[in-house]
Amino acid sequence: MLIERLIEALGAEAVKTSPEDLACYSFDAYSQGVLPSAVVLPSSAAQVSAVVKIARDLEEPLIARGSGTGLCGGAAPARAGVVLSFARMNRLLELDVENRRARVAPGLVNLQLSERIASTGFFYAPDPASQRASTIGGNIATNAGGPHCLAYGTTVNHVLALEIVDERGECFTTAVEDLGYDLTALLVGSEGTLGIVTSAWVRLLRIPPTTGVWLAAFPSIESASEAVSAIVGAGIVPTALEMMDATIVRAVESAYAAGYPADAAAVLLVESSGEPEEVASADSAIARIARAHGATKWQAATSTEQREALWRGRKGAAGAIGRIAPNYYTQDVCVPRTRLPEMLATVDEAAKQHGIVVGNVFHAGDGNLHPLLLYDKRDARQVAAVIEIGNIVLARAVELGGTISGEHGVGIEKRNGMSLVYRAEDLAAMANVREIFDPHALLNPEKIFPSGISCREMRT
Amino acid sequence: MNDAAISAALADASAHRRPVALRAGDVFSGMHRRVIDADEIDLRSRRAIREYEPRDLTIAVECGITAAQLEQTLREHRQFLPLDAPNAPQASVGGVLAAAWSGPRRHRYGRPRDLLIGSEFALADGTLARAGGMVVKNVAGYDLSRLFVGSMGSLAILLRANFKALPLPESTRIFLAALPDGTRERAFSQVRNLRPEPAAAWWIAGYDREIDGDPGDDGRIAILLECDNALLERATLDWRAALGRAGIPETRLLDAGAYASFTRLLDAPMHLPGLNALSYRSVSLPSQALALADSIADVIDRFDMHRDLLVDIMNGDVTVRAVGDAASFTHVVGMLDDALHDRAPRARILAGGGEVHDRLDCFGLLPNAFAQMRALKERFDPHGILNPGIAFFDGLHT
Repeated sequence: MLIERLIEALGAEAVKTSPEDLACYSFDAYSQGVLPSAVVLPSSAAQVSAVVKIARDLEEPLIARGSGTGLCGGAAPARAGVVLSFARMNRLLELDVENRRARVAPGLVNLQLSERIASTGFFYAPDPASQRASTIGGNIATNAGGPHCLAYGTTVNHVLALEIVDERGECFTTAVEDLGYDLTALLVGSEGTLGIVTSAWVRLLRIPPTTGVWLAAFPSIESASEAVSAIVGAGIVPTALEMMDATIVRAVESAYAAGYPADAAAVLLVESSGEPEEVASADSAIARIARAHGATKWQAATSTEQREALWRGRKGAAGAIGRIAPNYYTQDVCVPRTRLPEMLATVDEAAKQHGIVVGNVFHAGDGNLHPLLLYDKRDARQVAAVIEIGNIVLARAVELGGTISGEHGVGIEKRNGMSLVYRAEDLAAMANVREIFDPHALLNPEKIFPSGISCREMRT
Repeated sequence: MNDAAISAALADASAHRRPVALRAGDVFSGMHRRVIDADEIDLRSRRAIREYEPRDLTIAVECGITAAQLEQTLREHRQFLPLDAPNAPQASVGGVLAAAWSGPRRHRYGRPRDLLIGSEFALADGTLARAGGMVVKNVAGYDLSRLFVGSMGSLAILLRANFKALPLPESTRIFLAALPDGTRERAFSQVRNLRPEPAAAWWIAGYDREIDGDPGDDGRIAILLECDNALLERATLDWRAALGRAGIPETRLLDAGAYASFTRLLDAPMHLPGLNALSYRSVSLPSQALALADSIADVIDRFDMHRDLLVDIMNGDVTVRAVGDAASFTHVVGMLDDALHDRAPRARILAGGGEVHDRLDCFGLLPNAFAQMRALKERFDPHGILNPGIAFFDGLHT
């Protein structure tokens, strides 16, 4: 019945039901979910609406999916249902350079937006590491960040308006300029549990006239972390402030020859953009602070090629790790910047205790860590150790005044960690929202909220 | 009142279905209807800094703190929050958020909501809860802190707000220029394309009491530069050259008094000369702002009122202050309100209107997500005790 009705609404070539197709949509970049009942590829908001109405009639869950680059199972089905892939809703719908905004379909790949509008002198700022593959719809679902959100903010700071299909299949719009409650901010980061985004107006920024990229090498990760606190504490907010430890530096050098000093215990990659005078000021001020904190090297990228090479190393760090371990697990936590040394010490200690190699590559300026835990999934002991370390890292981040997810989302993987951050009263307030937007619990069910209890139970 | 006392007061009010009215700075009270027949919860004494670690560039405050107090605290550490609140010595941070206030620097630094990273709040039944935290990136769960922005205290009482602070710019300079006849459009275009980008920029017609000097044949512009010391002089040369290309021969620079002048312009629409006046603000796109301003001016002129206009060049807001004749104001203001909303459907009243304020359309165009907002209100405040009458949908039917 489900398949027939979907085919009737969308046409046979937009409905996938073969076991191979379903298998492809049962997981994201890390998490394995269950097989969906069907995968649909709508071409318009009207088709999304039709699918939602059919699924609602038949009580089938709905899982919106961009490129599946998420790391927490946000787009992986938790109990079958219909996966909506936005691969065919991938256009730049309107470009309004005069008012510095663009309307995009949810399936538009993040980087493609900036590439397509580069000739206008503008760009779209959120730049998750997955930006070559991840979609703006997916970025909206997770409120994605990226290295440059230190200066520019995360996705929520760049979404001006949304068109949404709700759980009844009805369309509504929100805008940051609207009177009343800020539903735009509520919907960004809600992981497809409150509605399905069918288009978005996003803010465009001017491409800065000058960009400087520098590399600083440190004798210890602690001294590099202290330097980060000192830079931000001195009132300097570069456009990016990224850190890599020795494990990552060696892997990156081996894979890409990015120009990182292989003997460094930690490397800071710093980028500053703006007017030439501002970039020059940042250069001298940050270099002074880095040296005061023991930096053994401060090197500027003197050409576009060098700048791109340094960034290629950072953005390819996770891929480079594949050379030294068959599997890795990426954790994502955020702590106040001044607590970075304590957080890193916990990661190091837990990894050593459990005999697991860890590599740290992260958005240091934001206090957003991504320890990569290296393991072999064929070894049950290592798998158990990685899970245990992950839990220790989550708990410690919360103890230090931080959170369980800085930018990857909660999905399935971290739903039980929500109870570490929030009390029952806090979760109940969120559950109230969920029930209003999704009273039948069909929109990406079993995500965000801790398992084992329903939203209704949380409220009571 | 501390958190526990507010919680107890709400629990009691909820149990007895007794409405409560929130009281803070009263700066934004013209933006909504009056709450009537309700017990008052006064938040003005709640002004503590709850957490501040300058090295983290984060600060948590009680929501009764005024924008000026918060600014002073941050300034001591060479940091700031661009709330752009009018009447900052009186405006509470909670009021800024509840009114979803956003000022002319938002295109550069974001709106207050963009810098909000967490909150603590009291629900209608007295439950104390929180969302977000003290970290600058946090995607754990729904962003309830921002949901409450614009709620006018109708969903919950914001008790504490956590913000991401910004480093204070080293230099502040205002460029003030009277526009020769026929230069307004060119000036507007040049300002939109200035490098470095202005922190704020206005085209001004009127407001002669707030700004001294030549009012210009075609109005005047005020542009705020906030930048590093190293950039100040080169930017000044470039900006003056750009304005020269727009046909503006002379630009006055304000350094020592720059911030005071900026503040006067922020305050201007809220300062009314008497009961026979009112201010509106209408959001629009920057490309449409001048046409909208002309259209609004035309309406005010038809009613033979004095008008002062401010156009936010970078964001597109059009703000107008209309002052009428004391004897006839009450009789004509309703017609003015209708005529103005015909031209500017999104116009919201900022202040004024005198005794007929509540009969005017203080909200302007209603949002498309009307039903979703009403459902949230019914769930979060089932007995309708929080600031009854204040929400735009109170008394309306979908």
